[in-house]
Amino acid sequence: MGKRVAIVGYKQTKHSFDNLVSRERMVYELVKSLYSDIGITKDAIDTFILASNDFTDGRTISEVYIVPRIGAYMKDESKVESDGLNAALYAYMRIQSGLYDTALAIGFSMSGSEFRAPMINSYVMDPAYERPRGLINFHSIAALQARVYMEKYGFKERDLAKLTVKDLKNANNNPYAARREQKPTVDSVLGSRPLYAPLHEAHVSAYADGAAAVVLASEEAAKRITDKPLWITGVGHSMDTYYLGDRDLLRMDSLRSAGEQAYRMAGIKSPKREIDLAELHTNFASEEPVFAEALGLFKEGSGKEVVANGDSNVDGKMPVNPSGGPLGANPINAAGLIRLVDVCAQLNGEAGKNQVKGAKTGLAHGQDGPGAQQNVVFIVRREK
Amino acid sequence: MPGETIKSMVPITFLYRNRVGQALETYIDGLKDKKILGIKCPACDKVYVPPRTVCGCCHKKLDTYVEVEQQGTLENFTVAHVTIEGGEIKDAEPYVIGMIKLKGADSLLSAVVKGVAVDKVKTGIRVKAVWKEETQGSYSDLAYFEPA
Ligand SMILES: [Zn+2]
Repeated sequence: MGKRVAIVGYKQTKHSFDNLVSRERMVYELVKSLYSDIGITKDAIDTFILASNDFTDGRTISEVYIVPRIGAYMKDESKVESDGLNAALYAYMRIQSGLYDTALAIGFSMSGSEFRAPMINSYVMDPAYERPRGLINFHSIAALQARVYMEKYGFKERDLAKLTVKDLKNANNNPYAARREQKPTVDSVLGSRPLYAPLHEAHVSAYADGAAAVVLASEEAAKRITDKPLWITGVGHSMDTYYLGDRDLLRMDSLRSAGEQAYRMAGIKSPKREIDLAELHTNFASEEPVFAEALGLFKEGSGKEVVANGDSNVDGKMPVNPSGGPLGANPINAAGLIRLVDVCAQLNGEAGKNQVKGAKTGLAHGQDGPGAQQNVVFIVRREK
Repeated sequence: MPGETIKSMVPITFLYRNRVGQALETYIDGLKDKKILGIKCPACDKVYVPPRTVCGCCHKKLDTYVEVEQQGTLENFTVAHVTIEGGEIKDAEPYVIGMIKLKGADSLLSAVVKGVAVDKVKTGIRVKAVWKEETQGSYSDLAYFEPA
């Protein structure tokens, strides 16, 4: 067992499809207000980890433009070309190393206004094989996965639509979400543009402009900064093969493994009983039951029941994406870190209309790659 | 206040090309001869189609190319109503994208499936490869699959 590492500050932008500012200014304003919220300046941060991507930023070594904005001038700084929860994981490990006491992790992109998200997603596909053939992409993989789940477990299109409505309604109650659907219903979801069956446009997450940041600290440093630290009690991380034809889309081995690692570290024997809520990085609504089951939050194949009983609703047995999840806002590179920020807000009772009563232990999930090839899981706990 | 919001944007474009590896070049050469080649892992005996040079699971270098059969089973599919090109989602006449388990292969091959109505397609059906009449050494030589 390593050192105890706490989250002592967290913040997200108000995400939007076009936030009408530059990436650099968005990041600067977020980080400045985060530091001011917790009463520190850049001098209190030992190491800085960014999650961004040269493709989303449109330039190489893209962090050089961000370094002055986050206060990393002449300091230790590094970048993860992946989802933001990886940045938090990297920051966590740096503190575990004993070389640093505090770290900022930040993820951001302008996925609403500066590029078409499916284009960035297509750049992830194997350039020598899948990309030139044009059949297999994030959307079609999600459809293949959804169809297997639905066929195997009798999960109907209306069940999926009902789950989607749950997320869209939660997003409507989330002041940070970009997407606002007037009165989402099963019929409005099923009536939206068909993409790759069974997926429609309404099932797809809201690619948007946005950023999220957290400040992590060792136990000693945490005590100096805050009187209500949230503790990272478990982390897990795993990567599946890049070739779709080798993967079991239902089992989600890499997510399963990331979850098991995190539970083991946190001493969680029964995730169903010991976790109060989960924020999952779902690029498509159809991923929600598959991911939640791979993480052991629900019984395998129980999606239909879960939807019928409202078990994953804000007031259900195991609330999943009470924030609305990425269906409300999915800035690439930030989405997984936003999950962590939302979990922290829940544990501190700050989630407003989406508050899960008495939440004490939360799970945050981040993913990257087609069909959630790579997965990161965080377990976070409030002490009292 | 000036600059409170910014409306100006400048375009950025990238142009790349990518050299395929030895395994895909061999696969493409096979397509020219109307053959579907896989590669066999000496440690786990799995046959990967299309071939790749390392078995991720066993961390072994692969160099034993094997020809697999041109018939197999439709293991999974989606009925596509769109194409995505350059990130742009465009409506299309519905078509079937299948994941096919060829006889002799352990991985699934993605391909367009024709000759079956989009509302009739189901998993488990037998399908076979249909070739372009004149092959030229490209992925599109293997034109599509149809019910066997
Ligand atoms: Zn092997």
